[in-house]
Amino acid sequence: MSAAAAPSPAQARALLKAFMREARKFPNYNIREYVKRRAKEGFKECQSISDPAAAAAAFANGRAQLEVAKRQSVVYSLYAPRVKSIMDLKITETTL
Amino acid sequence: MLAALRSSAAVVRTSLLQHCRVSVVATTYRGAPEGRIGFASDASSNQPHATYLDKTEVTDRVLALVKKMEKVDPAKVEPTSHFQNDLGLDSLDTVEIVMAFEEEFHIEIPDSEADKIFSCQDAIQYIASQPRAK
Repeated sequence: MSAAAAPSPAQARALLKAFMREARKFPNYNIREYVKRRAKEGFKECQSISDPAAAAAAFANGRAQLEVAKRQSVVYSLYAPRVKSIMDLKITETTL
Repeated sequence: MLAALRSSAAVVRTSLLQHCRVSVVATTYRGAPEGRIGFASDASSNQPHATYLDKTEVTDRVLALVKKMEKVDPAKVEPTSHFQNDLGLDSLDTVEIVMAFEEEFHIEIPDSEADKIFSCQDAIQYIASQPRAK
């Protein structure tokens, strides 16, 4: 079965990239940064997995989580905050 | 007799010249310049973003981004630095850094190209070759 095969490094990188692209769609600063941070953390945790079956399971879990992120980005975009987070503003010394 | 002929000829000539000048002036101003302006604006609107960024500017912005990475020691970053060999980053960090380049330069780097970016030099070269990079 193809699901049990361990993902290639390129596939893993593509999954992380998909997470980062999905994260960009969140209009809310806190959630956007959390999704990016959590995706990186998740990949770091799984970096040392050497067992092919465990790697395949982790990869499948990651793909399921990506689907969750996709759904949530739609929901969050429906209730986008009207005011930007201060972290989203480009503050220079002249605006202070 | 001669004087009368001369003066009537002068009247005819001036009226003729005035008539000619008015019509000539009117047609040239209506025609040529507007046509030229219209053509110029067409030409510039066809390719508004088709400008390559200056390589030194790309270098500065790429290095600034790399220095901002958490794991990177800013003092070690050089235009020739290799992400994994010189800066101690792994493949996941490389993905992250390539995404940061995408955001900074407003471009999309396809996976096939992203997999070839291993060093600051690679990134600078790729971005400098992208006409849409801003």
